[in-house]
Amino acid sequence: MLCTNCKSKEAVLHYKQIVNGKKSEQHLCAECANALGYTGNGESLFDIGSILNDFISMPSAHTVNKTVARCPICSTTYDEFKRTGLLGCDKCYDEFEAIVEASLAQIQPSTTHKGSLCGEAGEKIRKENELNELKENLKKAIIDERYEDAAVLRDRIKKMEEKENG
Amino acid sequence: MAKWYDDSGFQSDIVLSTRVRLARNIKDIPFPRKMTDEAASAVVDMVEQSLSTMNMGFSRTDILSVSPLEREQLVEKRFISPNLARQKKPSAVFISGDESVSIMVNEEDHIRMQAIFAGFECQKAYEVISNVDSYMAKNLNYAVHQKYGYLTSCLTNVGTGIRISFMMHLPAICKAQVADSLFSAMGKLGVTVRGMYGEGSKASGYLFQISNQMTLGVNEKEITDRLNDVVNQLIAKERELRSALHKREGLSLEDKIMRSAGILKTSRLLSTKEMLTLFSNVRFGISLGLIDDIEPRVLNALMVETSPAHLAYGRDNPAERDAERARMVRTRIGG
Ligand SMILES: [Zn+2]
Ligand SMILES: [Zn+2]
Repeated sequence: MLCTNCKSKEAVLHYKQIVNGKKSEQHLCAECANALGYTGNGESLFDIGSILNDFISMPSAHTVNKTVARCPICSTTYDEFKRTGLLGCDKCYDEFEAIVEASLAQIQPSTTHKGSLCGEAGEKIRKENELNELKENLKKAIIDERYEDAAVLRDRIKKMEEKENG
Repeated sequence: MAKWYDDSGFQSDIVLSTRVRLARNIKDIPFPRKMTDEAASAVVDMVEQSLSTMNMGFSRTDILSVSPLEREQLVEKRFISPNLARQKKPSAVFISGDESVSIMVNEEDHIRMQAIFAGFECQKAYEVISNVDSYMAKNLNYAVHQKYGYLTSCLTNVGTGIRISFMMHLPAICKAQVADSLFSAMGKLGVTVRGMYGEGSKASGYLFQISNQMTLGVNEKEITDRLNDVVNQLIAKERELRSALHKREGLSLEDKIMRSAGILKTSRLLSTKEMLTLFSNVRFGISLGLIDDIEPRVLNALMVETSPAHLAYGRDNPAERDAERARMVRTRIGG
């Protein structure tokens, strides 16, 4: 495939973006990608800043109140995140939740972690996720009127919660 | 275990080295770009503490307390990134006794740990670094998110925080002019290709860095399998094209390879670019069985030892460095 910019060299970088709600794809050769600033620090292929800008230009995208969007912990502002593509602390992920989720959906295959989590924090999250899944299943069992399954699920949830608090 | 730059390893005529790195941050402390100097110092100490009982012989180097030249040398050995060499806040690198593991503290994330091995050693590198990771996790409280996993400063690292990269030598793929279309197909599979020295298929010495793009929504095994698969295909393609090239060009190719070895053994001035080109020809010669008195690991070591900052002691101008580079190559390769 030829570079969509210079139309002479072979494209090596493939970049998806959404502008005004319209999905478009860019295929760039290494030189054009560099010239257009798509390669960043060399490790990341995606220019988060411009992805975010594309979102901002979408009329009905995410309603973020720009004046109050500032992380209370590290004071990173919404504009700053938009410009650099970098977050300032772990709380930023909650503060800028909508835009983080939307950006991740653009650059990653899915927005839910599937890999390992080690240490105490990881253990806690695994348990929480397991508990949430059991609760979801319980809801479904009740809706489907599978009361025997529901009873089993209810007991397992109770046991887990007791362990957690005790 | 030997140092990545003084070893050969599996498939070493095509895969020079394998690196696996993990990005981690500590809970409730702003990421390096937003942290105070006090917090930055504290994080360096916390990391040191977390490693103190680990028997890998880690030694600590504080970036601000070493000279710019020493920092550059750490970059050339790939222990630290150019970004860490420029860091103005308290930051450090911890290097294991055998130099296979290095842990950068306060680069873009609080912790960037990596394992590097010579050759195609994805499994080994991953096992080593994930051991270090679990060990540190016992003593440090990582920033993790219920949905997103490990949190990082940049969204391109979030989730697993893993980046696997291979340094590959692909002369036949480049000469057959299939590099661009192959690399473009790899891009569609979420695999990034960059020239190590220069861009595209004209990269000096035909050396490329192949790495994974995605870090979230795929687990470590899927990432490793996908990348291994792509690298294995590249190796097969490179081998096929190497023997086709040898068949087609015969003596003229052999002549070029043997002359390259001759220049390395006798030259008096050698620029980095020329050296990389000649090394590429010699590596090709080794894999064809034409050259048996030069080991790939010696070429790997020379690439580090003759890079500009390693040669810079007392040598201000490039000509002096080219002379010293030629001398070092002659000494190591013999003649
Ligand atoms: Zn182009
Ligand atoms: Zn923040």
